Amino acid sequence: MPIHDQGYRRYGGRRELHGRAWWVIARAGLLERVRERRFLALLLFAWSPFIVRAVQIYVSANFTQASFLAPSAGTFREFLDQQSLFLFFVTIYAGSGLIANDRRANALQVYLSKPLTRVEYVAGKLLTLSIFLTAVTWVPAMLLLLLQVMFAGSTAFLRNNLFLVPAISVFCSIQVLVSSLAMLALSSLSKSRRFVAIMYAGVIFFAAATYQVLRAITGSTAWAWISPEDTVDVLGDAIFGLPPGAALPLPAAVLVVAVLAAGSAFILERRVRPVDIVT
Amino acid sequence: MHEQAAVVVSRHLSKWYGQVSGLNDVSVAIPPGVTGLLGPNGAGKSTFMKLITGQLAPSAGSVRVLGEPIWGNPALYARIGFCPDQDAFYDRMTGLEWLDALVRLNGFAPDAARTAAMRALEAVELLDAAGKKIGAYSKGMRQRVKLAQAIVHDPELLILDEPLNGMDAIMRRKTIRMIRDWARAGKSVLVSSHILYEIESMTSNVLLINNGRILAEGNVHQIRDLIDEHPHTVFVRAEDPRALGRHLLAEDDVLSLRFEGGAVIVETARPDAFYTRLTRMAASGEAGVIEEVTSPDDNLQAVFKYLVKQ
Amino acid sequence: MTATTRTRFWTAATRIFELSFGEMLWSRRTIFMALVVGGPVLLAIAARFAAVNGSVRMRVNGVGLGSDDVFGMMIWLLFLRFSVPVLGVFYGTALIADEVEDKTITYLFTRPIPRAAVLIGKYLAYLACTTLVVLPAVTIIYFALVPLAQVPASFGQLLEDLGILALGLAVYGALFALMGASLKRPLITGLVFAFGWEQVALLVPGYLRQFTVVYHLQALFPHAMPSGRAVSLQAVFRDTSSPVTSVCWLLAMMGACLALAARAVERREYVLEQ
Repeated sequence: MPIHDQGYRRYGGRRELHGRAWWVIARAGLLERVRERRFLALLLFAWSPFIVRAVQIYVSANFTQASFLAPSAGTFREFLDQQSLFLFFVTIYAGSGLIANDRRANALQVYLSKPLTRVEYVAGKLLTLSIFLTAVTWVPAMLLLLLQVMFAGSTAFLRNNLFLVPAISVFCSIQVLVSSLAMLALSSLSKSRRFVAIMYAGVIFFAAATYQVLRAITGSTAWAWISPEDTVDVLGDAIFGLPPGAALPLPAAVLVVAVLAAGSAFILERRVRPVDIVT
Repeated sequence: MHEQAAVVVSRHLSKWYGQVSGLNDVSVAIPPGVTGLLGPNGAGKSTFMKLITGQLAPSAGSVRVLGEPIWGNPALYARIGFCPDQDAFYDRMTGLEWLDALVRLNGFAPDAARTAAMRALEAVELLDAAGKKIGAYSKGMRQRVKLAQAIVHDPELLILDEPLNGMDAIMRRKTIRMIRDWARAGKSVLVSSHILYEIESMTSNVLLINNGRILAEGNVHQIRDLIDEHPHTVFVRAEDPRALGRHLLAEDDVLSLRFEGGAVIVETARPDAFYTRLTRMAASGEAGVIEEVTSPDDNLQAVFKYLVKQ
Repeated sequence: MTATTRTRFWTAATRIFELSFGEMLWSRRTIFMALVVGGPVLLAIAARFAAVNGSVRMRVNGVGLGSDDVFGMMIWLLFLRFSVPVLGVFYGTALIADEVEDKTITYLFTRPIPRAAVLIGKYLAYLACTTLVVLPAVTIIYFALVPLAQVPASFGQLLEDLGILALGLAVYGALFALMGASLKRPLITGLVFAFGWEQVALLVPGYLRQFTVVYHLQALFPHAMPSGRAVSLQAVFRDTSSPVTSVCWLLAMMGACLALAARAVERREYVLEQ
């Protein structure tokens, strides 16, 4: 029997091409989170409005007495509005430690000493959070649309409201991207997951409260640009073709969202470094 | 070891973290003086340390420190000094401020606390850096200030979890000397480490732990003697190893031998008889000049390696 | 607890307070706190500037508001309904958790002091820290909004408002300290309580709302509201209990939460991250 050399041998297996590391990071982040039962419970709970809406659609489709419950384009807009609460909690739960934990463990040095660019690292982290947020926004909304077709037994609603498919997709993309980028940027500023979570909650609630005060004092809803949530709502109303909830011009809302995204990207560019240089 | 004289007594002490066993049915009585707690990483040393310092409650069994139960008994901490293994501090405070604040928690008056803090810093050679923020300390300095907070209130029992981590060679030697001095001054010291020679240089009284179980406890030589199934290895450097080997093989106290460089390594099941014969051979010169006789088995590493394999 | 052990407890708590107060006040959290309370200050200054210029006429539901009414609204919306609960969640849930995360808890728990004294000392430091920042900010807002001529008439009510804010900080801090001591993820629970449960329970008629902090703070608030010529902001609020009942409820909540939190800290094992 031949005697095998037990010494070191070079890896002879298949290597992935460069540029795929973002998926490795995303996959690790996803698996880490889904192992937590509490998080899975939160995700499941986030689908409870979907159950309610599904029942609503079923009843309206199958019982003429309940035709008043029939969905419209506004129903999907309202549904996504309701889901924004779960979007908030999932963002905090899944996103606050994404970069903060790595900074705490000095893992950025380890990551960025591999053949992995900063862009891939951030992309991987962004994908982790985006997947979870999409799971509580776009996925249930599209499933509701599908259920409507299935329960009604016809595609009439879908044909009459074909814009809903791109509308839901675009609006959800905006919601998910704004929340993910903002949370990642905040996460890169601290080593404490808890600090990041409260900063995110603080920014959201403080902005909303300030908007309410200014709205009450001046009587104008144009101040909605102060609150990211209300700004995104303005965009949502426009995308779904509904009357705007605030007197904020659409270009202004787009500008605010763009500035938020750009600001977050800037912070990430400055903070995601292998070494902190302290002067 | 009589339990009444022991500083730490545990009876069937076990600790589980969910499904994972951290410590399994540990019954020991740690005597006064310096005791080394030795085991590889993940052996259960820190779990044991945390149980005897009251940071964790036993899942089963009991532990008494200085004659009293430790869990939920904060008054006992006045007599115990604990140096944990984690590198964690209030980085914004200076070494002096930190020690002063901690020793005041021991009930010291402000002046006495200051004096005690300065004395502790002096003992660990950090007096010059007393006014510097801990965040600016080097790793070795951080380790020393951690030691300082353990001794600042002059406790009877010191429990040190990996105290030499991060220290340079000179500071290691000084710290080992300090530990021996504290023991001579009447304190009891329990030191944990995974580095064998560190423990050996501090004490011959050891507690060997692995996989959450105690492998052996007591004097390292006594432990060695008790392992009588394990043949004793003797290293003999000689002028003519082959001639020596021929003479050694003549008696049945030699189980095996091998040659290595200018020496013969012998395995014997009867070390007393072997040493007697070897001494006679060395005196008579019948097998040539014998230059050196040592036993690698008498060190902790050999004992530990053997026990871990069981 | 004997008199001697009570003394030792409070001495230990005082030592912990001294140790923690500086750490809390000069930490990064203070930047966050400064933003949380600084924003309304800037808003008040801007609103005063705009009102002086005549560029903005402050109104609610189309009815013009006096500056003292605006002050009351800001304190209610920006402080009592936002800043105070947020600061309570932020600091209260982290009293012990921060030390555990930083792994410095070992040094405190291996001193001859009751663990509960550590919690109480840190709670007192939180209270001192937050009141030192929030109350002056509110005072600045008051002087920014209320014209000097109206100050003598409404200054007493400012003091009442400051008292209510301090009480709110104390009660929310105690409640979230209990969550921090008992739960593994207290932050999410705290946020759900402050911005979910309290919002919903206030709208439900019956006894449910009594299990919120904001209901009892609200009961104290209308009496502290500066009277103005505009819409009574009491119309915004639902029916409330008497101030004495509310103060008793709030103090009872604070005491119960602190006692339970202290008990939890005494019994809980803190396993540090390796």
